[in-house]
Amino acid sequence: MPTTDRSLEALMNEPSITRRILGDTLKFITKRKTTLSAVLILTSLLFIAAFGPLISPYGANTLNLSDRLQGPNSTHLLGTDNFGRDVLSRALSGTRVTLLLGLSISGFALILGLPIGMLCGFYDRFGMVVMRVVDAMMAFPAIILALALMSIFGKPGILNVIIAVGIVWAPRMVRVVYSSTLSLRENTYIEAARALGMPSFRILVRHIAINLLSPVIVQATFTFAFSIMEVAALNFLGVGIPPYIASWGGMMNEGRTYIIRAPWMILFPGVFLATAVLSFNLLGDALRDRLDPKLRRIM
Amino acid sequence: MLAFVIRRGLGMLISIMLVIAITFILMQLIPGDPAAVMLGSNATPEQIEQLRVSWGLDQPMLVQFYRYFVNFLHGDLGQSLFYQRPVLQIIGQRAETSTFLGIMALLVVVGVGIPAGVISSLKQNSLTDNALLLVALAGASIPSFWLGLMLMVVVAGNWHLLPSSGFTSVFHTGNLANLKNLILPALSLGFVNAALVARTARSSMLDVLRADYITTARAKGLAERVVIIKHALRNASIPIITVISFTFASLVSGAVVTENVFALPGVGSLIVQSVLKRDYPVIQGIMMVVAVLYVLINFATDLTYASLDPRIRYH
Repeated sequence: MPTTDRSLEALMNEPSITRRILGDTLKFITKRKTTLSAVLILTSLLFIAAFGPLISPYGANTLNLSDRLQGPNSTHLLGTDNFGRDVLSRALSGTRVTLLLGLSISGFALILGLPIGMLCGFYDRFGMVVMRVVDAMMAFPAIILALALMSIFGKPGILNVIIAVGIVWAPRMVRVVYSSTLSLRENTYIEAARALGMPSFRILVRHIAINLLSPVIVQATFTFAFSIMEVAALNFLGVGIPPYIASWGGMMNEGRTYIIRAPWMILFPGVFLATAVLSFNLLGDALRDRLDPKLRRIM
Repeated sequence: MLAFVIRRGLGMLISIMLVIAITFILMQLIPGDPAAVMLGSNATPEQIEQLRVSWGLDQPMLVQFYRYFVNFLHGDLGQSLFYQRPVLQIIGQRAETSTFLGIMALLVVVGVGIPAGVISSLKQNSLTDNALLLVALAGASIPSFWLGLMLMVVVAGNWHLLPSSGFTSVFHTGNLANLKNLILPALSLGFVNAALVARTARSSMLDVLRADYITTARAKGLAERVVIIKHALRNASIPIITVISFTFASLVSGAVVTENVFALPGVGSLIVQSVLKRDYPVIQGIMMVVAVLYVLINFATDLTYASLDPRIRYH
């Protein structure tokens, strides 16, 4: 059959799916200068997180009391703290912790938020009850709920921070998944799947979950940005991760006593934090505009 | 309108009950016996048992919740373990600082955010617009406590313009000049939210400025100022009000850290101290007061919408 031959030929000449995805991604990244710079910054942060110990000039916890409270100079590019520890090395070491926490918290919010949001959007009665609770959870300002949870857990710790901040951001993920599911289920193809006798569970997985990918990716990016900011606030208040792990928030907390004498102790960790948050926000904005411009209304 | 108020009012009551239930459940998760925590390590089992009975901790969970709820309605949020005084009284003493800080920060949010957004929209794609957008974007990513610390170094430390920390009651001393202490905290707290308001105000104004009635208003010879303020800004106000009402939660969150940075005796620094001291009744009291305030503010926002835009009442 000639038609099949022709479409086969067309298929052969078409770039492979991996190449198409690569091409699309490249176009997305380079289209806006802001996206490009966000991606470049995030790549360097990832690089620092992976190879931090290899490129950092000193150990994150190496004490050097004779060099304490030095301003930025040629041996210590970003200065030293009250124990003579190198601020740059500590900030680099904090990158890994920050990215790991951000990733775990977004993951936690996703694992909790995706199924709950989908079920709420798909089953009206279930949704009516659960969404009330979700909304009530959102009545607690983020840091207040996180502080209360940290006090319940009793002690600082990485896992405790992940759960506390994850519980704070999960309801926001539920909201996004819920409202997207509500609009998705009105589509004709869902009706068609129902008419064909497809079980609800399969509809949820095969048709709804797949189409939720865009809003969920966008929301996860924003969750990342918010959660690393919140983790920094908890560490700054001294109730986050234990102080022996270098973190940006913890470094700023340690710098408070020396704020007039050694402002670089606070300045540079803050610059790292703000840069990371800014890049994730920029990436989130760009992803939202690219994947689903309609999301602007709900996010 | 009455049906709308009743419907939303009922929803608000359900939310308040849920908020109380969530707080109750969270506090059940605290490891250990509250009575033992309260009495310390020297208490005898008999003393602990006595306190358990007097607090009703020996009752079933549902009875406990009922008591808890009724106590809340009577304004009884329990006793602080550390201060040995009613929680509501302690929160009340700290409320003044936080309220002044909140109001001043809100002034920064509205006073900086809306004009910046409007100017940006009127000069779309100009240098001013791009500069303002950039500042707004950066502003939304800067942690408020870091901004506060930096302001402290520069304005208070180097220039000696404003006090860097502390606050004494205006009501007790009758001295309005004390509010000077809140200027830096309010700036650092408000700036982040002003950035969000500016972005919303800009995009909302851009939508409205394209509308036909703006062209009509200009065509009939109205002064540009009247067109912008009376015709454009008024119609662009709903999204802006939404964002401003969201800022309550974000201001509270920010205030927790900001009060700590500037050593202000507010509710935010109280909760952090209570977390460090494990004063659970105070933590729980603050959670409830703040969340109930949030629900009430949302209710007020809904009513504001409905009076600004009659279509909303029928949704």
